[in-house]
This record gives sequence, structure tokens and C-alpha cells, in this order.
Amino acid sequence: MRDEFSRQKVDEELALLIQSGKIEFFDILLERYEEKIRRYSRKFLSDSEDINDVLQDIFIKAYKNIRSFDAKRKFSSWLYRLAHNELINALKKKKKNPLPLFDLDVFFPQHLSDNNSLGEQTERREMAELIGKCLDRLELKYREPVILYYFEELSYKDIAEVMRIPISTVGIRIKRAKEIMRTICKKLGYL
Amino acid sequence: MINNQEQKSIKERVLEEIKSGRIKIRPKFYFVLKTVLLAVGFFMAGALVLFLISFISFHLRASGIWYLPGFGPRGWGIYLRLMPWFLILAGLILILILEILAKRFSFVWRRPIIYSLLAIILIALIGGFIIERTPFHSGLFSQARQGKLPFAGPVYREFGMPRFHDVQRGVVEEVIENGFKIRTFDDQLLTVVLAEETQFPFGKEFEKGDNVVVMGEREDDTVRAFGIRKIDDQFRDFERRLRPAMPFPPAQ
Repeated sequence: MRDEFSRQKVDEELALLIQSGKIEFFDILLERYEEKIRRYSRKFLSDSEDINDVLQDIFIKAYKNIRSFDAKRKFSSWLYRLAHNELINALKKKKKNPLPLFDLDVFFPQHLSDNNSLGEQTERREMAELIGKCLDRLELKYREPVILYYFEELSYKDIAEVMRIPISTVGIRIKRAKEIMRTICKKLGYL
Repeated sequence: MINNQEQKSIKERVLEEIKSGRIKIRPKFYFVLKTVLLAVGFFMAGALVLFLISFISFHLRASGIWYLPGFGPRGWGIYLRLMPWFLILAGLILILILEILAKRFSFVWRRPIIYSLLAIILIALIGGFIIERTPFHSGLFSQARQGKLPFAGPVYREFGMPRFHDVQRGVVEEVIENGFKIRTFDDQLLTVVLAEETQFPFGKEFEKGDNVVVMGEREDDTVRAFGIRKIDDQFRDFERRLRPAMPFPPAQ
């Protein structure tokens, strides 16, 4: 009965129920997002134990802070933002090079001529090939929007929410990521 | 298979923590308080920036440094040397803190940093200059001179009316043959001697009661002037306010 009821609910409605004290619905959100967040985390961390620890922290924080979620917004963006912060912190602990403190593409306005052109099927096929071969060689600031756009299928607006950068910067970073990956793949002889 | 096991254990671990009561949902009040504290911190840092910029402006005008570039390259040199760089650096750091705090608001991070940074700098400069034109700093400075300002008093006494070797600011008390005597805001009577190379970028007619800035080499109570400029800034309160507050009788 509860399963049927909860399956019909969208994430935001479930979050509202949890906010009102019906904490038993949290496991539905856990089920829905565990695999997605695990896949996202794998692009940051390689050690499975580290990934499990971070995953646990992400969902515990999501539960503790569920009342900070604004149900007018998308739950997925909110959760990915939380995961982004946790993963960046995990990388900092490992002294790996996370996102730079200052970046010119966030500082100045960027112009992106056609926001949707990257979403076309041919583009996606080409990107899938590039990502498969060269994604790991990208800097995190380029790698993350690519993962969120092509793997997690978030919109530019949602990626901007997750990374807290202007929407135009998301488009520019994905465009540059593609150019960089193409160059890397050519150098390595994959293209 | 292993993957399924891992997934199950994560879910179980989280739910176990919840059921045991070791983790609890934070109340809405906690997040409201965080937002309020952020807003308060932002406005306090903003107020501090406004205070600092208006204070720097007050210091530059009251000491006469502000007017030095009008004396050409030599004036510019002294101007750059006497600028309160420490206060300027503190102001820049505060602006940076303001920007970092502002970036927590979605209407700020959705736009390129340059917009919010320029807006903060512009508001700080305009606001600072407006405050400098009010009686705020001259009032505090007067209180500091009378010993009624315990905390900020030393800062006002040091920066409000500093003694520089190269620049003097005061009021003409007596016109003499080769110059005039001025009474500085910190109650010193100085003889200003004119020379051939003395510049008068804004006219050379001086009379008793004129407010002047003198750039030149000081030796004891005599200043050999390289440049003299009359200041006619009736809008600034401290021009009127500081003189009666000075602990010496008005000039005859």
C-alpha cells in the first residue's frame, strides 16, 4: 500500500512528507538515488571504500538537512549539490587537485551561441566516444559538468545549481571539455 | 553481486543510523538562523567597508594628502608615499570577504563574479564618499580629541590629523612679506616661506582665514613651500567643525 503510494510521488513530494515528520519515506529517496550518486561519485573517487564512506555521509547529510530543501526547486539538484560538496571535501582530504579557488570563466560574462546544439544525437554519440576514452584526463572543473550532463542527464540550469556557477559558464565548460578531450584523444591516437 | 551487497549495506547503514536516533532531522529554525546570521554578517561587513572607505577619505582630506596630485609629478610622488596603504589593504580584504559572503546567495552566484564585485565596489565607494561628507567622522574625531572615544580614539588621533614632513594643512593666520603663517588643525603655528619654484596651481592670492594645503620641506616651524593650494570646500563639515573644537583660542 505504502509502496504504491510512494511510487506515485515525485521526489519533491516525498521530501515534503519527510520534512513534515514522515521519515519512513526517506528509504524511497535512498533507493531512487543511491545508484545515481554512486555512479557520480565514481567519477571523482576510485577507491570503493572511500566511495561507500562518502555515499553514507551524503545520505546522512541529506536526511539531517532535509528541511533546508525548498520543495519549489528540484530535489535532484539539491542532492547532487550536497554530493558535490562532500566529494570535493573528500578530494581535499586526499590532497588531490579539486576545483580552483578562482576561475576566469566564472569571473567574466560568457556568451554561448546555441545552448542546445550539444544535445543533438550525433553530438552525443561523438561525446560518448570521447568520454569513454579521455574523460579521466580532464580537469575536474571540465569533467564534472560533462558527467552531470551526459551521464546524469541534468539540464544546464540544474548543473549550474549543483556547481553554483552561471548557466553560461556550464555551457562554455562543456564546449571546452569537448575540445580538450578531442585534442587529448588525437594525441593518444584514439581518433 | 558484490555491488548489490555494497548497495544494500549503504542503505541499511543509513537507515540504521536513522532508526537508532543517532541522527536527527535538523529543525527549520536552524536553517533560518543560519540565513539570518549570514545576512547579519554580510551587512556588518558592508557597514565596516563603508566606515573604512569614508574614514580613508576623511583622513586624506583632513591631512591634505588628497590635494597633492594637483601639484604635478612631485605631488603625485608624495601622494603615493603618504597614502594609508594598510587601511586600503584592509578595505580590499573586507570587499573580498563581502564578495565571498554574497556568493552564498543564489542571485549572486547565478551571474559572473565581475557584476557582484563591481556592484560592491561601486556601492562601497559612493556610500563611503557620501558618509565622508556628513558630520560623522569629524564628530567622532572631535570626541577623540576630548578623550570621549575610548576604543576608536587612538585610531582617530593617529589617522585623523597625522603630522607629515611634506604636507601641512591649516588656516592662514597672518600674511607676511615672503609668505604667511598658518595654524594647523593640530594647533601648530608654522611659517610658510615662498620661493621662486613654488607652484600655485589654483591661484596665489591668499588672505587671513584661508584654508590651505602646503607641500614643502619643513624645518622646525618653517616650511619652504614647493606648492600651495587654497581649499574651498564648504560642503565638508570638518572644515567648520574642527576649528572651534580645537583646544586653542581662535586667531586674532
